Amino acid sequence: MSTRTLPRLLQSPAVLLLLVWMLVPLGMTLYFSFIRYVLNSLRRPEWTKPSLSNWRGFGNYEFVMNSKDFWFAIQNSLFIVCSILFATVILGILIAILINKAFPGQGIVRVLLISPFFVMPAVNAVLWINMILDPVLGLNGLAVAGINDLIANLQNAPLVGGFFSLWPEFEPISFRATQTSAYAVIMMVTWQWTPFAVLIFMTSLQSEDQQQKEAAVLDGAGVWSQFRFLTLPHLGRPIAIVVMIQAIFHLSLYAEIEIVSRGNGNKNLPYLIGEFANNNIGAASATGIFAVILANIVAIFLLRMVGKTLME
Amino acid sequence: MAIVAPPSKYGKVGRPVLAWAVGLLFFFPIFWMILTSFKTDADAVKPEFLFVFKPTLENYLNMTENYDYWRFAKNSVITAVAATLFTLFIGIPCAYAMAFNPSRATKDVLMWMLSTKMLPAAAVLYPMTFLTKSLGLFDTHFLVILVLSLINLPIVVWMLFTYFKEIPKDIIEAGQMDGVNTWGEFKEILVPLAWGGIVSTALLCFIFCWNEAYWTVRLTTTDAATLSKLIEGNRAPEGLFFGRLSAVSAAAVGPIIILGWFCQKQLVQGLTFGAVK
Repeated sequence: MSTRTLPRLLQSPAVLLLLVWMLVPLGMTLYFSFIRYVLNSLRRPEWTKPSLSNWRGFGNYEFVMNSKDFWFAIQNSLFIVCSILFATVILGILIAILINKAFPGQGIVRVLLISPFFVMPAVNAVLWINMILDPVLGLNGLAVAGINDLIANLQNAPLVGGFFSLWPEFEPISFRATQTSAYAVIMMVTWQWTPFAVLIFMTSLQSEDQQQKEAAVLDGAGVWSQFRFLTLPHLGRPIAIVVMIQAIFHLSLYAEIEIVSRGNGNKNLPYLIGEFANNNIGAASATGIFAVILANIVAIFLLRMVGKTLME
Repeated sequence: MAIVAPPSKYGKVGRPVLAWAVGLLFFFPIFWMILTSFKTDADAVKPEFLFVFKPTLENYLNMTENYDYWRFAKNSVITAVAATLFTLFIGIPCAYAMAFNPSRATKDVLMWMLSTKMLPAAAVLYPMTFLTKSLGLFDTHFLVILVLSLINLPIVVWMLFTYFKEIPKDIIEAGQMDGVNTWGEFKEILVPLAWGGIVSTALLCFIFCWNEAYWTVRLTTTDAATLSKLIEGNRAPEGLFFGRLSAVSAAAVGPIIILGWFCQKQLVQGLTFGAVK
């Protein structure tokens, strides 16, 4: 056996499986996106079977691009992803710097902090939307009710009572409306992914050049300029990686949206595809192709970055 | 060293206090879920029992009755364990060949594998439903195991590759000189040396399989439904069942959180594909 044959043989199961996994379903999506294909149609029963004779060209794409839902879903996807990215990166940097230096109980704090990352997305969403954010029975509702009670009691107090009787009664925010449920999703995903950012930034901070820092201190650099001119540039690459990996994950966010927002209009692309797929497969497939394009724009940058370090 | 500026009084006390506060804040939702799981459904929504209440185990004892928990848990265990083993079975030879016999194409193959991971799952939702239904695979353990393996294979190959790369080639070559064949090389040299890496890869793969929440929800109904599906199906109890829902949620995530504590370090490598050191 030549020296090349065995390595190829060892790689082939993994490569072949992934090849089939990638090409077959994606090929079908591409095909379905160019034909008329619906699951139920009394008027046009011929459309319920995928067939080349139902060719529609770019018709599905046009249909999707003309639908209001599509543009809203894109906009909403981007809004959710960007908000999460912004929050996790800022919080991640702050917390990583905070817990990077040794202090009593550092190990325990790390363990506490990383835990949210391992919570399954379905539990994350159910926990937040019910036990925490529910406007009546969750902590959200209970806290607001508590504040209102407190104010009501203070209104009868001597001296300050007059001041507190000017206060309004607070209303708890309901996180089940279209806009607020997007906030709820952002909140819960940020909670889950900030630990990931912290972990990566901490790993990176540990390789920061300490001598350079000491030299900077000797030169009289303050805390801010140390951060601005040494730490931040050092974190540039990890930040880029965190942003791209999260972007890819969150563009296909599904369980959280499904659980928090079913039927209230807070859609993202994967959710919209699921909706179309209840009947209009052509439209679902065309939307899917758009989702692939969107993910690829991010992926290209990430792959370039990872590729550079690959063979070091 | 004396050069570093002495920490201010604020830094000495404030930093640990703030760090602890942040840690506790992030853990609070999990703590709250566990606390609620020990309340009865009626107590769980009463403000007077927020922190002080009579703890009960009834929610845990009635998990089978309320949610058929163990059937879903069994499916989760079966599919996650089988998928992890299968992924390693395919991934280890692949990573081994790539690390010790790299060709010019190896880099491209690795990048391509990674790119399959970036394909949004929703894009192929209908084809997968269509294919699995017409092949009679819909809602079977086999299908869930296969899909979980495929979505984790790229990460597993990457992680193993980065571990295997660290092993000096000389050791393998010395083995070859002594006339050890590939299988012996693999069994006697590689596996003992990379054991830690293989175990942590397996742990991480298991966690990802357990938490997966797109295909396990969309491609199962009852027979192969996992815990993700169970929780997703009970999404909005309207405040009626906070106690029992918390118990079943805590039971679904508890073991995984504890497993996760043991592979924090590997998580960075596994999710950043070795790009952050």
